[in-house]
Amino acid sequence: MNFRQTTEPESKKQKISIFRRFENSTVITVLISFIIAITTIQFTTGMLTGDFSIPTFITPNNVFNILMQISVAGILAIGMTVVMVSRGIDLSVGMLVSLITILMAKSVTDWGLSLPVTLLLGLTVSVLLETILGYIISRTHVEPFIITLGGMIMFQGIALLLCGSREVRLANGEFDFLKFNIIAGAKFDGLNLIIPIYVIIFVIVAAIIWAIMKFTRYGRWIYCVGSNPEAAYLSGINVKNVKMSVYSLNGVMVFLAAAALNSRLGVALISGGTGLEIDAIAAVVIGGVAMSGGKGNAWGAFFGAILLGCIGNAMSMLRLPGEWQYIIKGLVIILSIIAGTITNFISKKIKHKVQIS
Amino acid sequence: MPTDVLLRLQSVSKTFPGVKALEDMDFELNKGEVHCLCGENGAGKSTLIKILSGAHLPDPGGQIYFEGEKVILTPHYAMELGIQTIYQEHIIFPHLSIVENIFSGMEIHKKGFVQKREMINKTSEVLSYLDSNLDPESLVGNLSSGDQKLVEIAKGLIFQRKVIILDEPTASFSASEIEHLLGLIRTIKSKGIGVIYISHHLDEVFKIADRITVIRDGQKVNTYNCDDINEQILIKAMVGRDASTFYKRENVAIGDVIYEARNITGNGAKNISLQLHQGEILGISGMVGSGRSELMNVLFGAVKVDSGQIFINGKEVNLKNPADAIRKKMCFITEDRQHTGLFLSHSIARNTIVANLVNSKKTIMLPKQDVAIGEKFMKILKTKAKDAHVKVVNLSGGNQQKVVLAKWFNTEGEIYIFDEPTRGIDVGAKQEIYQVMVNLLKQNKGIIMVSSDMPEIIAMSDRIIVMNEGEIRAVLQKEEISEENILTESIGSVKI
Repeated sequence: MNFRQTTEPESKKQKISIFRRFENSTVITVLISFIIAITTIQFTTGMLTGDFSIPTFITPNNVFNILMQISVAGILAIGMTVVMVSRGIDLSVGMLVSLITILMAKSVTDWGLSLPVTLLLGLTVSVLLETILGYIISRTHVEPFIITLGGMIMFQGIALLLCGSREVRLANGEFDFLKFNIIAGAKFDGLNLIIPIYVIIFVIVAAIIWAIMKFTRYGRWIYCVGSNPEAAYLSGINVKNVKMSVYSLNGVMVFLAAAALNSRLGVALISGGTGLEIDAIAAVVIGGVAMSGGKGNAWGAFFGAILLGCIGNAMSMLRLPGEWQYIIKGLVIILSIIAGTITNFISKKIKHKVQIS
Repeated sequence: MPTDVLLRLQSVSKTFPGVKALEDMDFELNKGEVHCLCGENGAGKSTLIKILSGAHLPDPGGQIYFEGEKVILTPHYAMELGIQTIYQEHIIFPHLSIVENIFSGMEIHKKGFVQKREMINKTSEVLSYLDSNLDPESLVGNLSSGDQKLVEIAKGLIFQRKVIILDEPTASFSASEIEHLLGLIRTIKSKGIGVIYISHHLDEVFKIADRITVIRDGQKVNTYNCDDINEQILIKAMVGRDASTFYKRENVAIGDVIYEARNITGNGAKNISLQLHQGEILGISGMVGSGRSELMNVLFGAVKVDSGQIFINGKEVNLKNPADAIRKKMCFITEDRQHTGLFLSHSIARNTIVANLVNSKKTIMLPKQDVAIGEKFMKILKTKAKDAHVKVVNLSGGNQQKVVLAKWFNTEGEIYIFDEPTRGIDVGAKQEIYQVMVNLLKQNKGIIMVSSDMPEIIAMSDRIIVMNEGEIRAVLQKEEISEENILTESIGSVKI
């Protein structure tokens, strides 16, 4: 039956397998083509107006700017990757970020707690709430979609109670330490270059989660649980605890995102986290994580988040009205997913042909 | 009387890739007749009814005549002609009422508005004809399995079907429900409907049948008038394969008891006790639905035991979950490798290492090592794939099964449970897997093997346990093993 596979010509086989193994090819292709497209547009308009400088879209200033804009959603996307690879989903992260930002802002201002205590409090509450959701999800057969939807609405309520429906100002810049510019003094084209610590956190978190999923026993558990929970159970994996743990891990990510958001905005408010879960899920899906689980990795989500950031940024570069942002964003999400299935289809066709010949 | 013949099949064959499921089948069904189909698991009964219901198209060459006219059956056309199949698994909407179930897709309507009153009237008419006091508007999901079959039969009557096919209708029925169903069949038979009845329970067959057709390995053995034969003759007809074609395995010296279950009850198993020795294959036989796979899940710790004890190497163990069983060197090659054995979207390497994760003390694991382990077992088991990066979903059945074996060999287990080890695997790969099993025996490991494949279980087993209704019906020693003995024990008329 499958004897044909062994008779494939050696050279052809190699080519296919490189495509097949490079899991993030789709998102990187889309990202690069997007950047090329925008740069070309800027370059041509620049040429027409007689301006021969580098297109602003790819100047270091703008690249770092994009990284800053997407860090919060990006950190959440990394956590969401783990959850979605295990065949879950977490809709509550956006509102939980609001809740934790408000909690930490309250704690450090109104309640007068020290910064370390505040951070510890934020981390504890975030992980605890996520773990509760994870516990319910892993011990019942209710869809994670429903449980986390409930969580999202509840967290919104708690957050509103906590802040009395008002914003909490961080007037003394209590979270500014995350904004510390690690390349202070560097200039490009006369403008200061900025890489704040929270961008570094985003990159490091992506690297750590990628490594955990690829190089540890725990990572293998997550993939197996997402791919086939039944088989995972019969292979001796504690499916329930693995399912719960991914939400706890996501709690850590929510805490980091909340700290970064407090630092970015300098004020904690309920709308701070609104829609972040959508951006995170979009980044993860663009990054090649299947909704059915068992597939994908953190770098995919990382590039997915950058792609999302590029879209928003490019719109303002091209001076398109903000409304267009949403339309283009939605289109790119749909197109990149379709591109993924088309690539799959083509590689299958090629393989099929090779098998027949 | 040719006018009485409802349905006639003439040399109908059906080939699936690699298997001839039916060969030159002749079959006839008269008006008002109950015609029973008998045969072992996998003899071709299901294929035959799937052809009659239009689900499978037979190979070109055979002919099907309905009321004397040649027809080509599709699911829709079969319905139109009046052939209704009632499958073993209820294909029924549990959240809808009896009326809605009966008229699903065929609602009586006027200009698109459903005439509920009329449908209810028709339903209650038929229900009372069948001596049933069910409320037409009660939910089907709340009915007993006997009443659910009754609903299906009522549907057949309402739409004036001419042929009703019942596939294993009495699975999970109580004795009184069976009697009731047989009564119903007699009723519809008197209306001139032809009934094709498939059952593993020979006592039912003899109670209800007018004629009996025996199928073996896709071929018709004979058609008998029910009055002319008895149970013994029937079983003889169902078996009777040439034993010289069976796989010949080496014999291995049998050692100490390595696994013992005492009075296990739970998950359908009733008071099961068994012992497995080193170097032994303990076959578990029985008809589909006799509780074999359910028992295996219990023995492996995947399902909680209600009561009973398990001993491994003489020590009592408490298997709370499969992880415990794997730590105690147990392996479970499940029946359905795609759903419970493999991670289809993952590579061979990933699938190979997964079961041993529970024994591994390493937290950091390099993908390179996974691949090395995967490729080591590919070489040992002669798995045909380019390398260990290949996704399991792209492999053939036999090679997938080898990946499952690799997964368990990697745990260095001592006690193996093989549930249908060669289902859906071509002959060549089958032989290889048998050889692998014998090699395990040579290393003093023990194997419990569930199999519906009669030649396989006879050829491979040192002892055979025959199960029925979750109980052990008989333990056959090596010299007692024969098709006839196994069949007699698994379908003999002890029920009712």
